[in-house]
Amino acid sequence: MLGQNRKITFILTAISVIIGVMLATQLQSTLKPEKVESRSLNELRISLQKEIEKHQNLLNDISKFEHLLYQYDTSLNERESISVMKEELARARKLAGLESAEGPGVVVRIEDMKLPPGPLGTDDGSPAGTEALPDLLIDEDLRWLVNELLVNGAKAVAINGQRLVATSAIRNVGQYIQVNTYTIRPPYEIAALGDPEVLVSGLKLSGIEETFQLANKTVVLEKRDTLTLPPFTGNQTIHYMKPVKAKGDS
Amino acid sequence: MWLPVLGLIIGVAVGFLLDLRIPQEYSNYLSIALLAGLDTIFGGIRSYLERMFNVRVFISGFFFNTSLAAGLAFLGAFLGIDLYLAAIVAFGVRLFNNLAVIRRIILSKWLSQRD
Repeated sequence: MLGQNRKITFILTAISVIIGVMLATQLQSTLKPEKVESRSLNELRISLQKEIEKHQNLLNDISKFEHLLYQYDTSLNERESISVMKEELARARKLAGLESAEGPGVVVRIEDMKLPPGPLGTDDGSPAGTEALPDLLIDEDLRWLVNELLVNGAKAVAINGQRLVATSAIRNVGQYIQVNTYTIRPPYEIAALGDPEVLVSGLKLSGIEETFQLANKTVVLEKRDTLTLPPFTGNQTIHYMKPVKAKGDS
Repeated sequence: MWLPVLGLIIGVAVGFLLDLRIPQEYSNYLSIALLAGLDTIFGGIRSYLERMFNVRVFISGFFFNTSLAAGLAFLGAFLGIDLYLAAIVAFGVRLFNNLAVIRRIILSKWLSQRD
């Protein structure tokens, strides 16, 4: 009897489960009815057309945004190239002497002879000697000296704080010497960046002391570990000059 | 006695979890079948309480009643007659009858236990 009872309960339970599933399905179907396609073929076509248009618009949007992305990417690359160009510009300015430069070098000081030897000095005396001296040292001597420095590997040269650049001129104007159109006065001090040993020995080898002795000057060579040259201060405008574009340059 | 109720709850839970959904036009048949099933189960409970329960009668009644109800509704839709109304009325009346009998039996048992 107990077994029969259990069997009955089990069967009732099983049937209850089935009915429960049916009940849940029915409830779900009524609460959230499945969308049934009830539109006509024409309506379907129209809505298909609309969806195709929408799709087309979305594709257009995609291509537009991809184009934008491409532009941003290229501008990013350009920014990189801008930084490269800035570096290049800084290098060019350094080479052109538009930036102050620092490094080991030599200072060549051209001073009046302390003790004027011989009859020349005794006649004039020292104050008279100073007046006569500017005539003796001319632009040619300074040009020669600068040339000697450059020959011996000077990277940058400044005369009395006037930086020499590619277009710098050294010339006599009246009694004085002009560098970069600025008048400089004795004592002259020429600073050059380069290997100090090479510069000094090169200058000595070319007979700098003898040359300036003729002009009644003594030359003091000073090696410096750190030497700072000022930048070129004149204004540079480019006239009468255009870059020639090589073939293949875009 | 509480096991069938528990089974019903489990069945509802399983049905919701399965997320079965039937199309609108078949929902009528399912509702009729559901009604038949409920009627059968209450009939089964009644016969159990009257100690006249027969497993074979019960199971065959369940499946036959549900399929008959659904088939009747289908036939009605096919013929253009609302035959499912007949099923609803028949099963509804039987459901009420069965529930009334169950209520009386339980009430009398409870009263006899109290006395």
